[in-house]
Amino acid sequence: MKRYPSALAAIAAASAVALAGCSSPASETVDPSAPVTLTVSAWNLDKTPEFNALFEAFEAAHPNVTIQPVEILADDYPEKVATMLAGGDTTDVLTMKNVIDYARYANRGQLLDLTDFVGGLEKDKIAGLEPFDIDGKYAAVPYRQDFWVLYYNKKLFDEAGLPYPDHLTWAQYSELAKKLTSGTTPDGQKVYGTYHHIWRSVVQATAAAQTGGDQLSGDYEFFSDQYALALDLQNAGAALDWGTAKTQKVNYRSMFETGQTAMLPMGTWYIAGIKAAIEGGTSSVEWGMAPMPQISSGGETATFGSPTAFAVNEKAKNVEVAKEFIRFATGEEGAKVLAGIGVVPAYGSDAVTAAFTALPADELSRTTFTENKKVVLEMPVSDVTSDIDTILNEEHELIMAGQKSIADGIRDAGDRVKNEVL
Amino acid sequence: MTVTPETVSSTAPALRKRRPPEPAAGTRRRSLRPTLTGWSFILPNFLGFALLTLVPMVFGLALSFMEWSPWGDPEWVGFENFERMFRSSTFWIALWNTTYYAAGHIPLTIVVSLGLALLLNRTLSGLGFFRTAFFLPYVTSLVAVAVVWNMLFNPTSGPVNQFLQFVGVTDPPGWTSSTAWAMPAVIVASVWRDMGYYMVLFLAGLQTIPTELYEAARVDGANAWQRFRNITLPGLRPTTFFVLIMCTVASFKVFDLIVVMTDGGPGRATKVLSQLIYEEGIREGRFGLASAISLVLFVLVAGFTVLQFVIQRHREDR
Repeated sequence: MKRYPSALAAIAAASAVALAGCSSPASETVDPSAPVTLTVSAWNLDKTPEFNALFEAFEAAHPNVTIQPVEILADDYPEKVATMLAGGDTTDVLTMKNVIDYARYANRGQLLDLTDFVGGLEKDKIAGLEPFDIDGKYAAVPYRQDFWVLYYNKKLFDEAGLPYPDHLTWAQYSELAKKLTSGTTPDGQKVYGTYHHIWRSVVQATAAAQTGGDQLSGDYEFFSDQYALALDLQNAGAALDWGTAKTQKVNYRSMFETGQTAMLPMGTWYIAGIKAAIEGGTSSVEWGMAPMPQISSGGETATFGSPTAFAVNEKAKNVEVAKEFIRFATGEEGAKVLAGIGVVPAYGSDAVTAAFTALPADELSRTTFTENKKVVLEMPVSDVTSDIDTILNEEHELIMAGQKSIADGIRDAGDRVKNEVL
Repeated sequence: MTVTPETVSSTAPALRKRRPPEPAAGTRRRSLRPTLTGWSFILPNFLGFALLTLVPMVFGLALSFMEWSPWGDPEWVGFENFERMFRSSTFWIALWNTTYYAAGHIPLTIVVSLGLALLLNRTLSGLGFFRTAFFLPYVTSLVAVAVVWNMLFNPTSGPVNQFLQFVGVTDPPGWTSSTAWAMPAVIVASVWRDMGYYMVLFLAGLQTIPTELYEAARVDGANAWQRFRNITLPGLRPTTFFVLIMCTVASFKVFDLIVVMTDGGPGRATKVLSQLIYEEGIREGRFGLASAISLVLFVLVAGFTVLQFVIQRHREDR
């Protein structure tokens, strides 16, 4: 193929993109010390400190590489990346915010096959790798492995004279939430016992993880109890109602950091967020971490979680450097960097655990983090995952907004999944 | 190649310069020159239209009979996309919602903007301020409009419901979190946003009606309603027709306001066709299905527009 001057090539590439179909030729890095600009997609850089931490550490270890983040709003991330890829975008490393989106991109062949690359990694030390296995092939490697816990505000518990939420059942949790609902914050806001964010996972993935239910099955009876609990808390005024949270686009972080809620079920990624908020002086919340409440007491803790991963764009310009970045970020060095800022790395070793210092010093927070638990994948991966996810989301909205009874919502979700997807 | 507004506008003066200062002699040249000049004015714009609108439209039509995504080869599948579309309950709901929105938005916008135009078509001091004030929503960022209306419609602390409770409504609706009220809420917000634009069009139309007609009517003893009915409305007919067409097209294509205000929810209560096209095409990567839905939307908009033209012609013929 004839080589064009770069400007001409750019125009040619642009028109190729416009006509959608051609892939731009991947240029090879000839000189290992030649300056390279690696582009990495990321979201909300100021509130997601892991990105800059990883980028800076990698740049320090590879002086010839400059990382240019492609920042995208967290809420718009999946759609924006899908649009970029449809338009032939050449961002080198793509962050996989969740496994559902990963399945979409991978099934469309938009991600570079990393099967051989993964074979060369310390696979047994990387948690959460199996969801990325699609028919024996890998196209992404997790660097982060989050699971859901119950955050709580120690000060609000102390003021109410209640014990911290140690290994609760859902019934105890509900009772506690109602007791903790009272008074106002210094800003005159109501204090809620707990805050359930608007995501369907708060109800549905919790139910699936703790009852063994399958979210792709079309039979959703197992959601019932968890919905009854969520609606009861909302109706009792112990949790902010879903309609307000949705229409006002309430941020769960500000709910917790300004003391408007005593408890908050949320993923472990938030540890780094709280740490950053406290260090940045925007919050003075005294917080602790407890295991997610369970259906019955005494058993193994079951919760759900999802890994976050890095993948290489099929149209990446700097494939080798991109792989090197992923090797670094998902390995021990990257894991230490992540642990240092309070992000739970997928890569596990004693050195990494020692580097994890963001937790509050109390025993309960430590236990929550280190105890043996069953972490179920937030949503099973398959080629119908995204269609089912859409339906489950829509029915979740209707149930939570009180527009449908629990039974009707569950029945309709099942009918739609069976008739239109499966 | 893309034709941006800049390239279009920069070619126009250049063409004008090339024209000789005095009229050319010779009948043949005289008849050819204006034609060529005319074409040269249309051409840049037409090229842009053809390249950016016509070609993609035809391509989209073909695409609706194909299974294709940019990361695979196109495959001819006949009517499969249409079958899938007609089987999908979401499509029928979106079709209904689009019609519902248009049926609410078009008449309301016309009535409100005409009313405003009539109010502001007088000689009062401070009139410029009010005209600007009503036009402002139209130039405001749509996201800001949506966010503000969401706050107004907040079920618990929003001013709308607080007012309703104040006047004695014990159980005001949840607005955007209620399946029954979400669409009316969206319609209210969109009418508020669009009224300024159509008001300006109506104001321009009102200026063209000769004041002598009103004076004569007054002399003959016609009251305000009779003057409106027999002078204003007929005088505004061309404007009303234009507004109707523009408003219809805009209503059927509604997308942004709904995405920001309700995102099609709760459930599917406000999901419209253009949002479904976006979701199926961009999010799910089913370009063929998305094209099939856009074909339906196109037929819908074109059908209503043609119908309005036919009615208008019929009226003129009478």
